[in-house]
Amino acid sequence: MQKGLVSVFRLALVCLVVFASFGGIAARLVHLQVFERDELVSEVERARKRVRILHARRGEIRDSNGNLLAVSRPVVQVGVDPHSVRVEDEPMLPHLAELLGLPVEKVVEAFNRKTVTSSDGRRVRQVRWVKLADGVSEETYEDIMLLGIKGVYGNRQYRRTYPGGSLAAHIIGYINRENTAVMGVERYMDFYLRGQDGWREQERDGRGGELAQFRGREILPRDGYHVVLSIDSVVQHYVEAELRRIVDKFDPVGATIIVSDPKTGYILALANHPTFDLNSYNTADIASQRNRAITDIYEPGSTFKIVAASAALDLGLVNPQTTFDCSLEAVSRRGRLQRLPGDTHHYESLTVAEIVAKSSNRGAAHLGILLGENRLYQYARAFGFGQETGFAFGGEVAGILHPVDKWDGLTITRLPMGHAVGVTPMQIHSAMAAIANDGVLMRPQVSRRIIDRDGNIVAEFQPIERRRVVSRETAREMAHLLMGVCAPGGTAPKAAIPGFEVAGKTGTTQKIIDGRYSRSHHVGSFIGFFPASDPRLVISVIIDDARLSGTAYGSTVAAPSFKAIGEKLIQYLGISPVAAPPVGSLAGGPDNFSLNRDRIR
Amino acid sequence: MSRSRKSREARANAPRGESTVAARFHQLVNPASLILVCAIGLTLLGLTVLFSASQSYQSDPYFYVRKQITWLGVALLVGFLAARVNLEKLRALTWWFVAIALLGLVAVAIPGVGVEVNGSRRWLDIGIGRLQVSEFAKLVMVFGLAHYLSANLSRIRTFWRGFALPLAGVGVFCLLILLEPDFGTAMLTGAVGTTMMLLAGVRLLYLVPSVLAGAGLLSLAIYLDPVRLARITSFLDVEANRSDGAYQLWQAILAFGAGGVEGVGIGNGRQQMAFLPEAHTDFIFAIVGEELGLTFTLAVVIAFLLIFLAGILHLRRAPNLFQFLLVAGSLLLLTLQAIINLGVVTGLLPTKGMSLPFISYGGSNLLLMAMIVGLMINTQTAWSRPVLRDSERGLKEVAI
Repeated sequence: MQKGLVSVFRLALVCLVVFASFGGIAARLVHLQVFERDELVSEVERARKRVRILHARRGEIRDSNGNLLAVSRPVVQVGVDPHSVRVEDEPMLPHLAELLGLPVEKVVEAFNRKTVTSSDGRRVRQVRWVKLADGVSEETYEDIMLLGIKGVYGNRQYRRTYPGGSLAAHIIGYINRENTAVMGVERYMDFYLRGQDGWREQERDGRGGELAQFRGREILPRDGYHVVLSIDSVVQHYVEAELRRIVDKFDPVGATIIVSDPKTGYILALANHPTFDLNSYNTADIASQRNRAITDIYEPGSTFKIVAASAALDLGLVNPQTTFDCSLEAVSRRGRLQRLPGDTHHYESLTVAEIVAKSSNRGAAHLGILLGENRLYQYARAFGFGQETGFAFGGEVAGILHPVDKWDGLTITRLPMGHAVGVTPMQIHSAMAAIANDGVLMRPQVSRRIIDRDGNIVAEFQPIERRRVVSRETAREMAHLLMGVCAPGGTAPKAAIPGFEVAGKTGTTQKIIDGRYSRSHHVGSFIGFFPASDPRLVISVIIDDARLSGTAYGSTVAAPSFKAIGEKLIQYLGISPVAAPPVGSLAGGPDNFSLNRDRIR
Repeated sequence: MSRSRKSREARANAPRGESTVAARFHQLVNPASLILVCAIGLTLLGLTVLFSASQSYQSDPYFYVRKQITWLGVALLVGFLAARVNLEKLRALTWWFVAIALLGLVAVAIPGVGVEVNGSRRWLDIGIGRLQVSEFAKLVMVFGLAHYLSANLSRIRTFWRGFALPLAGVGVFCLLILLEPDFGTAMLTGAVGTTMMLLAGVRLLYLVPSVLAGAGLLSLAIYLDPVRLARITSFLDVEANRSDGAYQLWQAILAFGAGGVEGVGIGNGRQQMAFLPEAHTDFIFAIVGEELGLTFTLAVVIAFLLIFLAGILHLRRAPNLFQFLLVAGSLLLLTLQAIINLGVVTGLLPTKGMSLPFISYGGSNLLLMAMIVGLMINTQTAWSRPVLRDSERGLKEVAI
């Protein structure tokens, strides 16, 4: 081996470059792993760590028999990571499109959306997730997974569905796309239903997938409670079927039917026309979403006569046999001539019982005059008019009942027949229910209890007495008088159910169109209960502007529906007829209504 | 270093021919065996980290490790052959090798023959796997250049035979590799070729301007190519371009930071979980950084440095210029590749595809490295012991 094969200088130069390079690399490593470490670690944490919300499952809404009215079903949101897609999966795309119910082009387009350019057009970002479809059922998702297309996967979420569709729509309400409870039980029981979301600290990989092995602290979600309603789906069904029949027959602007238990105030069914399907609330007309039973007011007409009649009886001013001269067109009152309203028929003298049964306007006016402004107003207030019923749904209006100092000269004769007053269907229904409930006004309620996932009762909503309006005896007396309405000679024999004591009251009012009472637009109603001596059900049927050739009397448009529903419910609920007490037993005893005479000052 | 010095002292003290303990010691502790030890250590580290780094790629966690171990078996065989072959006899076949290598590089470029991956055509399919032709072409270039330069030693300072012709030869290799395209390997090949010419004694007057001109051309090429230019500019400001251009590099740098001094532990690294692309090949060093920390990253750097130093020390016993240049060139192939990879992964150099010798996943490069280590062992036994006087020891030794 000879000395100096190569130049020492040149070899040293090469070595120097190599040493310097390795030295530089070592220095860089120390810099990164020691001096910049803290900063880099915080960057890493930011990229990896994430707090994920664990969504609580919303509670169910059930009817009184446990049938589901609203339920949150787990569904799958299916999407694709366009960067994981393989060419060999392409033949499967039409199958996928078919399963998802999408056009093939849309699926192909999603599979090829690999990058997105920011709004300023400067940055191009990779797209790792393109949503294909929302709300895919668990079964369909399984089928999709069987296709084995790489990059296609789903995220589980909950979707609110309403198995009944439009059934009890105004009661149940709905949750919108943003998960906000918009109306009905959904909204007013939201506190119980929504549950409490949990969270979890987790780490993700570069694609955003969770790394289960690195889970940190977590708080599990608490699922929402179930709400059990007093609504009975079957009753609700009957009511809605009857409502549809009314709509088919009369094509009204609106209609409301309410069925409740007078003793508790629990609503068994409540239906309005027009209504909507809860599952497609987003396409429904906003007017159809209104719960007219509590948001709309109308002039109740004759149904309001129960106020004046009960008041006069309760105060002992009259008894059922007390007669009034109904041929008079005006009476002298406080030194002035007070005009009395007319009736459709001419009557001579009528007893209180006949005034109620035949629904005499003039008779009611007599009762009003007898009572005087203050007592009439106080009883109207006591029956719940001019104030919210406390039915726990938003949008309820108080109606219109002017205080005495705002009355004009006609009010004293018009108010007793249900004019110059605005009421909601729920108010008049509650007032009638108070008569049926021995004179005690109950708060109408739709929620029975709150239960947890295991069926344990969390809270119960007991019946709430609002107040006693009239004495028990007065109420019984009134119930008896109201039976006369459905008897032959009364205004609504069409509401009579053979074998049952049916008590009720018709109402027919002209609608005010362009500031004048219209002759062709009416609101016809019938509100009644049975069996009169031990009432089980109160049913209100209120039909706004039924289209028919003559006057849409409550007796012709509403009373038959009352009967139809009543007959079905007698069967369904097994209501037994109560033997009618001998005629006159209630009407006869004059001492019966002296007890609470001084209660109303 | 201290070990080789000790062995030298041992040899110096022992009378020649009298090869008892000292000779045995020398047989075991020599530059080639140091290189072998480093190579084995790096390979084992590579397999370990590869297992962790490739977890999230395939459903079978052993997929890459199994393939790499298969390649390792082939590599051991190839290395054994390289350690046994007579280099002087092989030298007679130089031009055959060059012809085959060039043919292979051309074949790769033909559609249908070469296998295309990610837009580059670099591979030939040979039954058990894909072979990256340029890996072997690099070594053939070193072999051919060593042969030519040593054969033309007397004309080494002339322009044509001493400078232009060898440069053109290197250029042909570079150009063919560049066309694949494989920018990184082409640059590496060019750098090793010119360094060998520098060592052989080509006039600096020719060499320096041509290197500068090459660098100029390179800059121009990058400037004109928007993709490459974007790479360079994003490299210069990694943090600003972390979401697109420099995403991969940024993720690698995060991995080093996450690892710190001690590392997060084998199997606990998370940058390979779809954050860091190519975590099992070109960017595997970042996973070493995250899982094993500064201790191992520095150990890797030191191991490569030791291989280089042992090789340089080994060179002083080269019997002729051909073998000197062959070993030096091979050593540079290994060392420069390591430097470029480490530089890229740590963000010191702009990103280009270059695997880390012994550690990255990939069969072709492993075979090449096995050949180079085999060559070291081959020359260790083949080269006679140097006759050196004590007075000649010192820094000079290195250059002899």
